[in-house]
Amino acid sequence: MLLKYVLRRLSIGLVQLLGLTISVFFLIRLLPADPVSRLVGMNASKEAYAQAQAQLGLDRPVLTQLSIYLGFQPDVSPGLLQGSLGVSWVTGSQVTAEIASYLPVTLELVTLSFLFAFAVAVPVGMLSALRPGGRADKGVFLYSLFAGSQPEFWWGLLFVYVFFFKLGIAPAPLGRLSPMTTPPPPMTGFILIDTLLAGQPKKFFEAAHHLMLPVLNLTFVLSGPIIKMVRQNMLRALQSDFVLYANSIGLPRKVVARYALRAAMAPSMTLIGILYGFMLSGAVLVETVFSLGGIGQYAVRSVLAFDYPAIQGVVLIITAISLVVYLLLDLIHAAIDPRIAY
Amino acid sequence: MAEPILKVRNLAVGYPTPAGMLQPVKGVSFDIDAREVVGLVGDAGSGKSTTALALLGLARAPGKIMGGSVKFDGRNLLTLPDEDIRAIRGRDIGIIVQNPRAALNPMLKVGRQIGNAYAAHNGGSASDARAQAIEMLRMVGINDPERRVDTFAHELSGGMAQRALIAMALSSRPRLLIADEPTSGLDVTIQAQFLDQMWQTVQMTGSAILLVTQELGVIANYCDRVLVLHEGRIVEDAPVRQFFAAPRHPYSQDVLRLYREKGSDYPAQVASGAPVLMQAKGLTKNFPIRHSSKVVHAVDQVALTIRKGEAVGLVGESGSGKTTVGRCLVRLVDPTDGTILFGGTDLSRLSNAAMRGYRSRVQIVFQDPFDSVNPRWTIAQILDEPLRLHSTDDAAARRKRAAEVLALVNLPEALLDRKPKGLGAGALQRINIARALILRPDFMVLDEPTSVLAPRARNALIALLARLQAELGISFLFISHDLTTVRFLCQRVAVMYLGQIVEEGSVEQVFSAPQHPYSRALLSAHLFPDPTHRRVDHPEAAALQGEIPSPIDLPKGCYLASRCGFANDACRSTPQVLTQQDGRAVRCHRVVAGEI
Amino acid sequence: MSALPDIDALPALPPKRADWLFRIGLVIVITVTILAAIGPYIGPYDPMLTTVRVAQPPPSLVEIPGLLTSWFAGTLPYPPHFMGTDVSGYDIFSRVIAAPRTDLVIALTANFLSLAVGVFLGLIAGYFRNVATELLMRVSDVMQSFPVFISAMVLVTLAGRSTSNIVIALAFVYIPIYIRLTRAEVLSQKSRGFVEAARAMGNSEIAIALRHVLPNSLTPALIQSSVTIGFAILLTAGLSFVGAGVRPPTPEWGLMISTGANTIILGEWWPSVFPGIAISLTVFGFAVLGNALERRYEDG
Repeated sequence: MLLKYVLRRLSIGLVQLLGLTISVFFLIRLLPADPVSRLVGMNASKEAYAQAQAQLGLDRPVLTQLSIYLGFQPDVSPGLLQGSLGVSWVTGSQVTAEIASYLPVTLELVTLSFLFAFAVAVPVGMLSALRPGGRADKGVFLYSLFAGSQPEFWWGLLFVYVFFFKLGIAPAPLGRLSPMTTPPPPMTGFILIDTLLAGQPKKFFEAAHHLMLPVLNLTFVLSGPIIKMVRQNMLRALQSDFVLYANSIGLPRKVVARYALRAAMAPSMTLIGILYGFMLSGAVLVETVFSLGGIGQYAVRSVLAFDYPAIQGVVLIITAISLVVYLLLDLIHAAIDPRIAY
Repeated sequence: MAEPILKVRNLAVGYPTPAGMLQPVKGVSFDIDAREVVGLVGDAGSGKSTTALALLGLARAPGKIMGGSVKFDGRNLLTLPDEDIRAIRGRDIGIIVQNPRAALNPMLKVGRQIGNAYAAHNGGSASDARAQAIEMLRMVGINDPERRVDTFAHELSGGMAQRALIAMALSSRPRLLIADEPTSGLDVTIQAQFLDQMWQTVQMTGSAILLVTQELGVIANYCDRVLVLHEGRIVEDAPVRQFFAAPRHPYSQDVLRLYREKGSDYPAQVASGAPVLMQAKGLTKNFPIRHSSKVVHAVDQVALTIRKGEAVGLVGESGSGKTTVGRCLVRLVDPTDGTILFGGTDLSRLSNAAMRGYRSRVQIVFQDPFDSVNPRWTIAQILDEPLRLHSTDDAAARRKRAAEVLALVNLPEALLDRKPKGLGAGALQRINIARALILRPDFMVLDEPTSVLAPRARNALIALLARLQAELGISFLFISHDLTTVRFLCQRVAVMYLGQIVEEGSVEQVFSAPQHPYSRALLSAHLFPDPTHRRVDHPEAAALQGEIPSPIDLPKGCYLASRCGFANDACRSTPQVLTQQDGRAVRCHRVVAGEI
Repeated sequence: MSALPDIDALPALPPKRADWLFRIGLVIVITVTILAAIGPYIGPYDPMLTTVRVAQPPPSLVEIPGLLTSWFAGTLPYPPHFMGTDVSGYDIFSRVIAAPRTDLVIALTANFLSLAVGVFLGLIAGYFRNVATELLMRVSDVMQSFPVFISAMVLVTLAGRSTSNIVIALAFVYIPIYIRLTRAEVLSQKSRGFVEAARAMGNSEIAIALRHVLPNSLTPALIQSSVTIGFAILLTAGLSFVGAGVRPPTPEWGLMISTGANTIILGEWWPSVFPGIAISLTVFGFAVLGNALERRYEDG
């Protein structure tokens, strides 16, 4: 039952990804941009232009390009079927390898921020729902509306100004480690884990120190919508018929609270999934402010350089991760709520 | 005289609204004696449910109990500390509510919930609680309690969920059971079964009952005493026979007027020479099921004849297909097979465009008055729509006609420029009827038009419909599960079960001497508002057994065979046909053969 | 069975909550709208022209009256820079109040486009369910799974960084939301009694869809509009911030923050802080408004 559901969801996801790949492929080729002249420069000779064009494979018919990209012509070059996302036009290295080195930064940043935001939002949202309309509730509500509608990159800059420039308790926003530190040997790509694996606790704390402001930044903007959601779901649960009934048959407070909590958490899963997917690309601005070198910044660099294989690769990978996260959270949702049928 | 177990004095409950504090309960006082069954009756919005909850010191958020006292065992429940009142709730006072499926926790197995309720007041281990849950489910008449104990609320039918609730409420043998419209939304036969079961169980546990309801039938058949709640106050407190025989308060008189005026007369039959207006033959409707080659047999070979000026009742329980028949007749649903002759034209063969021309002559009124009007339009716009589509009059003439039909249904012309929001169910249903009448149709389907109305509004609507029928000579198909209404309004009645008509005849024939076993069961389960023939004083033989078969895989022989006390092997193997005799028709070979 | 509207089923939330908040939202939104119309003309400086005073910090609040007096008196030869100037010498105040012309116009137009297209397609997809509309929904699913920021960035950069391309890109990424919202509402509205009643009266399907279903299905999309406009402003600014938005020296809040980003680390806070406050307040204003509308809708 469960396995069948997961397989069905995964296959739907694959079809969706294929649709996405093809539409992105055509979309970027339909737009009036000329990646060749971007690469060789405006004043390049015709021969140089044609040579570059052939080198990028852009002289082939579009459908042939697509078929190569999807991996139907492995003799020309490996494609998706062979697990390759192609070669970056700018750096000449494999897009998969590049993404593998940029992605962990983002995952680390976003996951940590979510954990913190959740840890703050759940108790705050619930306390606020216990006394709807009270002073504390109004304050919480105002905060959640405010935090949920903020330019996160601007707050990042403010944090840098206050905590680095004014107070000097945060490091300069120049990456995951200070420029003088040699990074630990990459094993997982997650620098917090790699430093520990390498047995370098000093570097671990340095990395944590560097992540402090970016995580605080994202936690702040994420806490808005999550608090709002927890509060609303909790309110709904507390005012539901079955909680009223549980009270009216004299169940102890503790039991009633458990009933309400479970009912409030179940529907929260969906939004968490959507937010997580959104943040994978939405973190780009925070990455930029703190020069973290995450997948978002990789995307910016690729887009500005018209690096088609890299653009396609980033979009594909981010979407794939989002779909997996949605699936996981739907599974959790179904585990909490028996009404959700597989 | 023993001390009452519950003494309520000046109980008041308020809700904050932007316009200030709203008080649905303005100061209610009454007593309940031990082992007494007390009915609390009143309109929607009279504060019945609010009162019921307030007895336990609760109010639905953001409401607040504003004052008064509820003395139980000499202690005022409204001033007890939280812990103490929780100990009384569920242990000494049990409660069951309307919409039981929403009252059950959707995420916990039913058995766990009953177990939690039991454990909260009696302690004990988890396995004790489970054993108790199974025991309670068996006591409230649930088959196979060992299996049901592990189901979730959404897997239960409404009747089953209500039983689970009462199992929870009675698990600690409370001295008072508050039952807040426990049967709203249940079918007639289930309702009777459930109330019988509740009544019997309470006889065993020795509890008193406060039975909150809108149904006079329920009051008459089960209660010893009646409290009438009107505009937040108790306006009448009388023994049940006295209440029905001589109601004192104008509101009570209003509620009972219909029964007192019409008495036991049946409506006069139309002249036998009256022309046939609408005739359905072999009407069949199947609904395909997605991803399956099977179909739902909603309507199966239905034949109906409605004469000019005649009202034909179509009764049956939910799932019997009566609503689909109504929708087929006005072509809101396209029948799979059969003919619908209306004044010589077969409506079932018309194209959608051609059918539009007939829409002015056949009309329909739906069950839910709130849902049937566009909430963004004014009453004038709503009434104008049919005219705009079918008449050539100018705007002024159309508005004049709209005012006319409003007057016809006893509503003031001033309503024209209002929107539906804020109007009551009764007024809105009149507007729906006015809209259906505005084109002067010959035939109208009324699909459960009174089922969401409170007693007083329901009576007024029945009186209105009877008047319209007499004045305008319109023919009705009156679809209802409420036999009392049909009895007052219709000349003929057809009884449906699982898509088939099982019995048809004049209202007098069918109501005074039902023949088909299903009609018998339906009528015996119906609670007529007559306290001199109480159901609890004359226990009926068990009516129907088991569950209704699925309309997808229908039995080979008689559809009722699996539930019928008279069924023999021939019933189970031979499909039954509708046989005419003495101006009535019955679908049962044993009845036709005179065996039962 | 339909639920009885009983007094026992009164609105669950306290109905009157922080109406002053709604008013603040309204004031912000109206102010920004007015600035979008006249902002570029009322500032003391031309927002597109530099001055010779580079990276001048803003005066403190107590200095402003004095500065104004001396300017009126003619002793100060140029109008005061209330918010200072940036590294190129632009007057920040004039640019902050001129920027709604860019930001708000982009956000409003993009939202209007996606609203119109999304509601239209959502109505069709919800009301007429067939192979074509199923296909439309699958396409919409794929569109919705695009990572929003990156898609917008790709569209704008590859199409050329012009205002109209930003509008189109934003509209593109927001269309699927409106399709979903409208379709869901249409699906629930079309099974309501008044729709069936309209059919029984002899309306054609198209008339029912347009006269009955559409007006009753608009509310969720309109509420979403307020949220979308806010997000569109954030997105426009974000695009500029990474260098994929409008071109300098267009007065645009995100671009201004980006200009100041390089020097804030050195303590020059004012070029970024003032446009940031403007975005922060504006988007908050739209969020508050959207929330108030949503509550009104829920309360009926």
